[in-house]
Amino acid sequence: MTTTATGALLRRDGLARRRDPLYAVSLAFLGLVVLVAAFGPLVAPYPPDAIDFTAIWGSPSPAHLLGTDQLGRDLFSRLLLGTRESLIGPLALLAGATVIGVAIGLVAAWNGGWVDVLLARITDVMFAFPGLLFVVLVIAVFGKGPWTAVVALALAYAPVIAKFTRSIALSELARPYVDAYRVQGASAVHIAVRRVLPNMTPALLGYLVVLFGEGLMSLATLSYLGFGAQPPSSEWGLMVQEGQDGIVLGHFAPTLVPGLAIAAVVVAVNIVGVRLSERLGARA
Amino acid sequence: MNTPFPRRRLAGTALATGAAAILLAGCTAAGPSTSEAPAVELPFGPTTPAASGPVDSVTWMLPAEPATFDFDIDSGAAENTVFANVCERLMAVQPDLTTVPHLAESAEWVDDTHVVFTIRDGVTFHDGSPMTAADVLWSMQRHAADGADESDEYANVVSMEQTGEREITVTMAQRDAIFIQAMAGNGGMVLNPRVVEAQGDAFGSPGTPDACTGPYTLGEWKPGSSLTIERAADYWDDSREVLAGEVVFRWADQSAVVNALTAGEADGSYLDSPASAVPLQQVADVSLAQGPSTNAWVLLATERGPLADERIRQALSLAIDRSGITTAAFGGLAQPWKTPIGQGAWGYETEAFQAAYDELEGAPASPGAADLERAKALVAEAGAPDEPILVASDGGSVRNVVSNALVAAAKQIGLDAEIVTVPSAQYGDFYSDEAVRGQADLFSDEYYISKNDPVGFYKNGASTATVNFVGFSDPDYDALVKEAFAATDDAERSELAIELQRRWVEATPWISIAQSPSTVALRAELSGVPASAAYLYYPWAADLGTTEG
Repeated sequence: MTTTATGALLRRDGLARRRDPLYAVSLAFLGLVVLVAAFGPLVAPYPPDAIDFTAIWGSPSPAHLLGTDQLGRDLFSRLLLGTRESLIGPLALLAGATVIGVAIGLVAAWNGGWVDVLLARITDVMFAFPGLLFVVLVIAVFGKGPWTAVVALALAYAPVIAKFTRSIALSELARPYVDAYRVQGASAVHIAVRRVLPNMTPALLGYLVVLFGEGLMSLATLSYLGFGAQPPSSEWGLMVQEGQDGIVLGHFAPTLVPGLAIAAVVVAVNIVGVRLSERLGARA
Repeated sequence: MNTPFPRRRLAGTALATGAAAILLAGCTAAGPSTSEAPAVELPFGPTTPAASGPVDSVTWMLPAEPATFDFDIDSGAAENTVFANVCERLMAVQPDLTTVPHLAESAEWVDDTHVVFTIRDGVTFHDGSPMTAADVLWSMQRHAADGADESDEYANVVSMEQTGEREITVTMAQRDAIFIQAMAGNGGMVLNPRVVEAQGDAFGSPGTPDACTGPYTLGEWKPGSSLTIERAADYWDDSREVLAGEVVFRWADQSAVVNALTAGEADGSYLDSPASAVPLQQVADVSLAQGPSTNAWVLLATERGPLADERIRQALSLAIDRSGITTAAFGGLAQPWKTPIGQGAWGYETEAFQAAYDELEGAPASPGAADLERAKALVAEAGAPDEPILVASDGGSVRNVVSNALVAAAKQIGLDAEIVTVPSAQYGDFYSDEAVRGQADLFSDEYYISKNDPVGFYKNGASTATVNFVGFSDPDYDALVKEAFAATDDAERSELAIELQRRWVEATPWISIAQSPSTVALRAELSGVPASAAYLYYPWAADLGTTEG
């Protein structure tokens, strides 16, 4: 894509949406993914766990659009039915991590002083501890399952968001309008939540969409390691894990199909998210 | 040729991510072309074709580094694979898995409680000293000592004495038909007391000499790197041809072993699982062979509950797709199997065992309509359990296939089954920990026995056996086990073993899935080694040579 002066002009004119094909396609793709997550079970030609030993490692065919895996299960159906589980996890973990992280970051930035130092040390400690290791520890204590993984990852992601929130909040709080509200007698909570937070949203959103991709991949990693979704679930990370035995035999589809799905969603979310935060930022 | 991902092509191109494009291109090149390649039959038999000439040096891959060569401490596949060439035993396992006298010239039951071993003359240890009956007795007492790894082989032994210049008499509490055979295993290994005592506690660790009589001596052992054995300078048995000059052992996990063989960095390996041989089938320079072993994949029923009724177990056994499992999990290199031990267990009266095996029913390779009808009828008769049947997996490829196949089988006959994943590190605890067994009704495992005698396995069905978790109980069966252990005549014992086998398969305390043959991979210009599980106790390197003279 060439970014020219015309492009910049068009964007200022509010016509960018129609002239940004990458954004449009990504948005359409994500829309499709959401539709699949909602209605996939109605469309899937086979149950996701229907074993067919006569069709092991099948190539794509009219009967199996994407081929079959090591148990002869239809990859297309598994992909469709795994969408919901694969997407809800990262969304939930991001929501959890954002609530915790933004709260910590804002409080630290607003209060400064010893509160800031204390929160900074706490987030530093959590920051220094490898996220996946922390998650494995949490799972070891609370037992495994998709939701333990989500909660543990939310805790692991919170410090990153807290650090980021604090840094942008500090520059935001230095702006004159904050002092103006203070002079008017607005409460700290009101200023922070109703005035400062909305102004930080574009930057925060841009950051969160990048994290969405990471979150999706972390959850897939956990499933891949056996700590997340359990068979015969068709969560994408688990599908990659189950399919890997075929790689050495030259059967790439069972890992490639869910792997590409993960990659495509992550890329699309990043494109949409970055464009969205640019636009919100321009408006602000 | 169509791209394998028609649905994703649109998104892929639109997103135009370089990585996706590369991956997609890679897939179109490799995906469909490899589909449904029919599994090639591997040569199956006790040995690979005899070698025609010696070989100077070979590099051999092990599944792990040997931990010690003091076999009274511990031994596993890696230690046994190496020291099968270095140490010898009173009896010897042959490539066809039968047992013959070796360092003992003969072994005989003289009455109901006495076995006499006549010790061979002219055998020398690697330090040149002759092997005496006193050395043999010392070795046996070391193996029998409390806490020694092999002491279970001596469970029925009351006393051992030297009763002649070359004669040792073992007094037993009762007849134990397995005892003489057990002397072909590590319990019958003869050690040089002078070497062992000189080394003290260090014996068996890197840097210490071996104390054996075999065709190879222990060379350099570099911990963490390699271990070498060399042809013994003056092996006592002149009639034995010893082909390989030296064997350099290295170790790695199975995928690395496969890679080393593919890349030509290793000359051979006894593979951990037949599944590892599947990718090697396409490597032109590697030849593969399989042979009998006692290994078999089984689903062991636990005491948890829903499988207490044998009709439910029988129904599942009728409905599970064994040939589907062997195709999916082993690429067709393991065979659907009706009994819980591989055919390598038939160490005597092989034909009788084969004939009896052929007649067994209730464990079809692929369930037919009649089998499914019978299974459904059994379920209807017994009543489906209230809770779903839980089958344990560890996420590994074989257990994944077995568990999914069981769930599918259960569904077909109106039963409800679910998979629970247990970490592989914890999986072994199914045998020892009741709490772990409380998590599942069935767990899959590859089971094997060290002696080539079905009686040694079917004792597991006795009502007092520790692995009879599901509580199968039949007084006639218990009596048969006792009788079989006392039957030192092979023909008589085989009849009893066959009856035990029939009763076991009928009651199905474990659901048999597949026999997992021993599998050897060799550089194409090498040959001669046994393909059977004999490699754990038989000096296979002595038979390893080149194919061209």
